[in-house]
Amino acid sequence: MTRPAIYVEGAALEISFADGRRNLQELIFDTVRAAVDDSGQPMHEIDSVVLAAHDLVDGRSLSSMVTSPAAGAYLRDEIRYGDDGAGALAAAVTRLEAGHARRSIVAAWGRSSEHSPDQFSRSLFEPFRSRPLGLDEFVLSAMRAQLCLSAGDGAGPARERASLRRIDSARANPRALRGGGFRSAPHFPLDDADLPLWADVTAAVVLSTEPSPIRVAGVGQSSEPYNFGDRDLRTITSLKTAAGRAAADAGFGADTADVAEVDGLTLIDEALGLEAIGFAAPGTGLRTLAGDGRANPSGGGASGYSPPSMGLVRVVESVLQLRGTAGSVQQRSVRRAVATGGSVVAGQTQTVVLLEAV
Amino acid sequence: MTELVSIPGHWDFDYTYFAGEAASRFFAELRNTRVMGATCPDCRRVLVPARSFCDACFQRTTDWVEVGPEGTLETFTIITAAFPGLPEPPIVMAYVTLDGADTALVNLVLGLDLSDIGAAAAGLQRQPRVRVQYGPEPQGRITDFAFVLA
Ligand SMILES: [Zn+2]
Repeated sequence: MTRPAIYVEGAALEISFADGRRNLQELIFDTVRAAVDDSGQPMHEIDSVVLAAHDLVDGRSLSSMVTSPAAGAYLRDEIRYGDDGAGALAAAVTRLEAGHARRSIVAAWGRSSEHSPDQFSRSLFEPFRSRPLGLDEFVLSAMRAQLCLSAGDGAGPARERASLRRIDSARANPRALRGGGFRSAPHFPLDDADLPLWADVTAAVVLSTEPSPIRVAGVGQSSEPYNFGDRDLRTITSLKTAAGRAAADAGFGADTADVAEVDGLTLIDEALGLEAIGFAAPGTGLRTLAGDGRANPSGGGASGYSPPSMGLVRVVESVLQLRGTAGSVQQRSVRRAVATGGSVVAGQTQTVVLLEAV
Repeated sequence: MTELVSIPGHWDFDYTYFAGEAASRFFAELRNTRVMGATCPDCRRVLVPARSFCDACFQRTTDWVEVGPEGTLETFTIITAAFPGLPEPPIVMAYVTLDGADTALVNLVLGLDLSDIGAAAAGLQRQPRVRVQYGPEPQGRITDFAFVLA
């Protein structure tokens, strides 16, 4: 059975912080409107909307009821994916492939200036064995970092260089946060520079079954057990599996991509993500981040971060790279790109998107 | 037999909600005892409360216009159960389209004789004319005003 090819017609993202001139709906409207304008399509040509949003991030219960009209959902088929934005894109792709829709908006957002990321993070843990201990996402990222660094994977100079390069990329990225934002307190062995810069992030794409220059070549998803004690934290198995599925779907793997935009909560999570998708050899993620400009040219989490939007941000950055419009972080001759989006807990659920210029 | 475990839970999250420029201006105008609407350039509807975009047309709104202060009560309900933060029941909540507006605004209706709920309801069923009445010290909040029979 042949499936229709899916294309990215429009893309937009915005990273800001505590812009009191706009409410949440207006932030969403601005980015979705920009993605629709970028697609060149009138609204009546768009028949479906898939959102990635989270009630506890938005501080609005059943938040898509408040926010979906701002994402273009008025009298359109709308579903919300309560997880990462790359996962929402995967859901939109399957709906388009199934013939359920012809053209779809995918939008994701998170506004760190309105909520407390640390409170949100603590709420994600199950109430009997984890929450009473005061666990947050960074505890797991720190334990993962400890395993990785004590194994000697790029400890010392590579970690420092990776960190500096990430900050440089964020400075160069015209879409990165300029001013404002904040960081959580780092747990050992993480330091400030390893942590994401909490920001207000909105991202949107317009997907279509009609041909245009950027194709969604493959999508893969995978989920690990919630019980992090059951997992090998050094290997993001769900991401590795998702990358394999995306490669089978696309006919090429992330290792052949000209640019990788990998989502990770911390610098070390990004490095391990590069290894999991095969863009970096095992144990070389930090060295790749330190020395290879094609690995997270956007600056990753240093450019601004808020769940559940980051996977879609990675997709938009990849689309801009493929178009050659990424600005001062543009890489040379980008024909293929890989974007990933992960979500809690400790990157338990992962989506890999392979994109290709056609 | 094993004692079955249950533990109490309570979530308490802090938020700072940004109203944005358009809603802030709408609230500021309430302090000036004016209810404002915003016009969509595509469908030409006057949207109340004023907002920055029309979600039906997915277009930014343009001109702001004052609406009311009188309008028509379209529908209503009478709330008889107490809820923290709300006035003592019974409370009448109504859906009112102010003159010059294309969308309705929800707020309380004050000053009705509610000693006989049935009789009060019969009066409101006739979709009476109402007007906006402000409290003594408007704070720039939706609770600054209520509707009263015109
Ligand atoms: Zn309109």
